[in-house]
Amino acid sequence: MTPFPAAPESRLIGRVTRCSIQGFVGGIRMTEPDIPAFGALCRAPAQGGRSQVIGLIYEISIEDDDLARQLAASDVPQEEVRLDQQFVRPIPIEIRALSVGFHDGDGYLYDLPPQPPNTLADIFNLPPSEVRQFTASLAFLPLVLAAPQLPTDSLLAATFRLAAQARPESERRAFLVSAGRECARLLSGDLGRVNNLVRSLQGQHGS
Amino acid sequence: MSLDLRQVLPQVESLGQEAARRAAAASIRLPRLAQLLLDAARLDRSELEHRLAAAPATAHPAWPTDEAIDASFPLPAHPPRLRLLAADGSQVYPDRHAAAFFYMVNIGSIDLLQGSGRPPQTATHSNLHFDDEDLRDTRGLPVDTHLINARRDAAELKELARLVEGPVLSEVEGPVLSEVEGPVLSEVEGPVLSEVEGPTLALLDNGLLLWAASQEQKAARPDVQRVLDEYLAALDVLRDSGAALAGYISRPRGANVVDLVEAAAAEAGGTPPRLTDRLLFGRHLQAHMRSARFRHPARINDEFAARGHEIQFFYLHTGAQDGIARVEIPHWVAADAARMAMVHAGIVEQCRLTGVPYPLVRAHELALVGQDDRRALDGLVQAALIRHGISGLASQKAQTKRWTGRRRRHQL
Repeated sequence: MTPFPAAPESRLIGRVTRCSIQGFVGGIRMTEPDIPAFGALCRAPAQGGRSQVIGLIYEISIEDDDLARQLAASDVPQEEVRLDQQFVRPIPIEIRALSVGFHDGDGYLYDLPPQPPNTLADIFNLPPSEVRQFTASLAFLPLVLAAPQLPTDSLLAATFRLAAQARPESERRAFLVSAGRECARLLSGDLGRVNNLVRSLQGQHGS
Repeated sequence: MSLDLRQVLPQVESLGQEAARRAAAASIRLPRLAQLLLDAARLDRSELEHRLAAAPATAHPAWPTDEAIDASFPLPAHPPRLRLLAADGSQVYPDRHAAAFFYMVNIGSIDLLQGSGRPPQTATHSNLHFDDEDLRDTRGLPVDTHLINARRDAAELKELARLVEGPVLSEVEGPVLSEVEGPVLSEVEGPVLSEVEGPTLALLDNGLLLWAASQEQKAARPDVQRVLDEYLAALDVLRDSGAALAGYISRPRGANVVDLVEAAAAEAGGTPPRLTDRLLFGRHLQAHMRSARFRHPARINDEFAARGHEIQFFYLHTGAQDGIARVEIPHWVAADAARMAMVHAGIVEQCRLTGVPYPLVRAHELALVGQDDRRALDGLVQAALIRHGISGLASQKAQTKRWTGRRRRHQL
């Protein structure tokens, strides 16, 4: 087994606070520009670092904060104070991610992980190189489509958009077409959803 | 839980009764004290000083300045733009039960240019002290908390001195953040800097006298003197920069002015209960008004005065929930009407949002070393020790405290 490839451009985006085989939740304080995007891929170590669980971020919430609440309740806050709160002061955020695969040291497996990440495990975003590698196969789509009570269609559209952006311009259209076909195949019994998803993908590429 | 609330409950009840009794007694004493303040103000200055000089050693009366002691001053106009600097510090004291003997000083600061439409700049400086010079005082004894506190206080003031010497955030160059559609990180982290001059108010979340130096003055320890020299040198920088400097004390418990008026009335020591200046000026001041300035009576103030930094103070009704705050200023702020107005108007404006000046709230947040930070630091220290072939174990006593300190709830 080879160690998980190091990605120097990875950013810490949370620490696991609770988790299960199907997903994990992480919290951290960060400034707004650092907050990850809906539909982005992330990873967290499991099994003592022997594997990395790949998560798809489906929820981002800004947690309650006493100082922000006080400022919100005050008279019109000064502009500089508002900017401080929005862009400089780290705010407590919580992200929720759906497990869509794992890396066992040799390569990606598109299935639920053998164990969830442990409490306080560092959650990193997946940099573009890893996003390209992970989404080279769309075998994670069934796990997303099977997830209950998630905004699945919007989530997939956002994921495809970010995965396309991680690719060179010349490869983006082909990737989106391929993703659309795979979704059409998996959702063949639900033409309405297929139409919505394809429209989203067409809108992203402007064609 | 090891605290037996059943045992504490009657004591808490007694505490409440005692507080109510004190408040009732204070409400009776307070009008008399307010009258004494007016009476003292009518005394001839030399007579007042004569009575203060005769005050018993247990009293620490403030000394009057050029302002009438019963004077109050309305809120001056706030400048259209004001640069606000604030610094605060926290520390991790050395622990002989930890894996290594060290201490840490953590300083947080903020540089906010009100009226610029730009986000403030913040900074945190963390310094680990672990060599012999840091860990032993000049007597060869392990460093004590007084000395660490003094070094922290000096580091806070030096941070303000560093900021006033640095460039000012400019509103004339570069895009204003709020006008940038979808601001990106580089625009947030790298606001344009230039040398645009503007009034500057520097704030500390404490009094301005180096308290540890005051306590150790008799010993005249060289290490304390060295910290005092650094502190006074930072005051030199702040004075020469043209900035106003103020130490903000929330919910002050001092009674220097009460001692003054009681000494002036030959009632020094007063009749119980002993009241505080905060209560006196809570009755005397309207919202947003400040009291007269007074000279700080601490003995260390003589040394500050000899170096051109005599510390004075006044009380300010901030208009916020806590009402009366004590504000300490150097003489060179007191003697400059423009800097005084900046302190008065700047603090009141900043208290509107958060009750205490907003920059101090943020500086405190940036400086604070919480339990999680402490645990993470201990982990890093232990790992470094192990990497260098040294046992990274805390003492057994520390381990047992860790085992029992964090309680777990087992759900059935």
